[in-house]
Amino acid sequence: MTDEKKINIVLAGQGNSGKSVVFNYLTGLHQHIGNWAGKTIEKREGTLYYKGYTIDVLDLPGIYSLTTWSVEEVISREYIIHHHPDFVINIVDSTNLERNLIFTLQLLELECPVVMALNMIDLAKKKGITIDFKKLQGIIHAPVIPVVASQGSGLTRIIDKVIDLKGEKADHRIHRYGKEIESCIRQLSEILQGIDLPYPVRWIAIKLLEKDNDVTKLVSEKRTGVIDKVRQLNGYLEEIHGHDSSVVIADERSHLASQITREIVKITPDRKLSLNEKLDAITTQKFTGYLVMVLILGGMFLTVFSFGNWLSGVFDTIFKGWHNLWNFNVGDSFLASLGWAAIEGVLALVQIAFPYILPFYIILYLLEDWGYIARISFLMDKLMHKMGIHGKGCISFIIGFGCNVPGCISCRIMESKRERFITAVLVTLVPCSAVSVIIFGLVGKYVGLLWALSLYLFAVAVIFIAGKISSKLLLGEPVELIMPMPDYKTPHLKTIAYQTWDALKEFIFIAAPIVIVSGVVIQAINLAGWMPAISDFLSPVTVTWLGLPAITGILLIFGILRKELILVMLAAFLGTTNFSDALTPQQMITLAVVSMFYIPCVATISVLWKEYGWKKAMAICVMEILFAILLAGVAKRILDLIF
Amino acid sequence: MNNKKNRTGLTELEDGQTGIIVSVLGGKTLTKRLADLGITSGTEVKVIRRTLFSGPVQVEVAGSRLVLGNGLASKIVVETK
Repeated sequence: MTDEKKINIVLAGQGNSGKSVVFNYLTGLHQHIGNWAGKTIEKREGTLYYKGYTIDVLDLPGIYSLTTWSVEEVISREYIIHHHPDFVINIVDSTNLERNLIFTLQLLELECPVVMALNMIDLAKKKGITIDFKKLQGIIHAPVIPVVASQGSGLTRIIDKVIDLKGEKADHRIHRYGKEIESCIRQLSEILQGIDLPYPVRWIAIKLLEKDNDVTKLVSEKRTGVIDKVRQLNGYLEEIHGHDSSVVIADERSHLASQITREIVKITPDRKLSLNEKLDAITTQKFTGYLVMVLILGGMFLTVFSFGNWLSGVFDTIFKGWHNLWNFNVGDSFLASLGWAAIEGVLALVQIAFPYILPFYIILYLLEDWGYIARISFLMDKLMHKMGIHGKGCISFIIGFGCNVPGCISCRIMESKRERFITAVLVTLVPCSAVSVIIFGLVGKYVGLLWALSLYLFAVAVIFIAGKISSKLLLGEPVELIMPMPDYKTPHLKTIAYQTWDALKEFIFIAAPIVIVSGVVIQAINLAGWMPAISDFLSPVTVTWLGLPAITGILLIFGILRKELILVMLAAFLGTTNFSDALTPQQMITLAVVSMFYIPCVATISVLWKEYGWKKAMAICVMEILFAILLAGVAKRILDLIF
Repeated sequence: MNNKKNRTGLTELEDGQTGIIVSVLGGKTLTKRLADLGITSGTEVKVIRRTLFSGPVQVEVAGSRLVLGNGLASKIVVETK
């Protein structure tokens, strides 16, 4: 009985189709986010209670096709085929109908029950696009419902439709390809009839003709003879069309989509340039584009840092008395001190997460939802290519300036493993807000602002060279940028709030355990009285090679927890914040250079560990330690000549 | 009547110029990937603009705006009138 009141649906659609807006609207607070088994790709599930029904909603990753190009696409395809969801809700961006239809056609080939949500119908109207959705319904043999997800309009009609159609047999009448292709599909289908396969026969036939690796492997394991026939048919198609047969079908699908679009879409061209066109021109043109980018990013950093400094000052006053309070009530025994170290770790996370990361994410997602982030990728692609990655990598760098942790997490937007890794390595070299505290608090304040700014330029140069080197060392072709350019639209605040909250939660979950544990461990070493021994042990590097005071060995150990501790503890050791009493200008610059590059902080290491395995994470740490020591030593010798 | 047709790479088009895609000089993965985005032979493509120093190209194809890396765009052969 209970089963009758349960429905499971999945949301599928291309990137920018508004899928996550629909998901958030439907599931509200009843959602949980995990990972796909063994993958770093997010799995978002939620539940909707509606008219006595329990409706489970799964948000499939945003994808552009169902051929095995990326992990996201494989996940989506396998899920639809193996889990037999009751309905696949295909969210379609009606302002980009033709491109979206190509995906819809592939979805229909999977022979699953599809309900199409024609989203952003209001924006389409504004662009002068009218879509005859009743006619579209007739062509794809599936219900089509126009919606405006950002306003929530039409979304309940989708669910009503789903409840309505539950239990009914979906109409799987299929769109037809050209005569020769259909004849090949028919011949293959006949042979495949007897084989026990978990997929629809027609779909397998199509995928075999498309030379899909996974499907070909699956079928050849069952019956080798089929593959010979496939080869023969592929040869036949190639002879007729003059292209590889895999391309022939993709081509036909694309043409079919364009043919359908012509039948159902009417465009009344607007003679005057729309606001979107003007904005797009200003923000992407050769000169104004870069100017606007500098202004927007500059404004963003200025806002984040001034807000961050203010809020972290507020937190400072709040937390100031806590240590004494703890000592007074709990004591300052060995265990109590370790307890305090753990609490300090939590407080430090709060001090980074709310003043800096929170506003950073809000502005970032605001820019993304507005449509601007893609413009940065466009403008920066050429430069990024010199480092062996494409324009999207620039976004990770920008995030990295705020904090390396979300910067490294965001490398997931890169398509290939190679690019993801290169981008992550480079992000760890980007001076984050904690490093900026050192640069400005030490060099900016006591040596000069110009020197502080030169250090940033120096970091950019180092990143550039490191990118060049790593793209040469890591074999493989650089992936070219292929990215839809979204129209500008009014940011949807609820979506931004959801995204910010998810990202902040992820940051805390990844960073918290390791920051707390390593804080306790380092405090234990400190209390055991081993620190002087460690600083002695490190003195050949710190004192002899880098010309720094011996205590910097201890500072650099604590700095692994959080970079700004280097400065905080330096003040504590010196008993003054007037660093010019204890350090010469060249020592300050040398210390800043070491701090910038010597190792990613523990929270960043834990992300690297999670995303790339411990071997690569350790390799990055060792490399960067050696690199920073070498670099800072050379810098010291040059600085000695200048000062 | 000027019906002479020229074949060039997409990167050779001027900003605002339109061409018909003739072929894509690339492996099957790339060609398929592009076809899934509506970039196939016989389709009209318009160059909107590009960035400095022969950077990526912003194009309009199948009613949508796309950005294509320069190396990729140069592999798309188009025919202009």
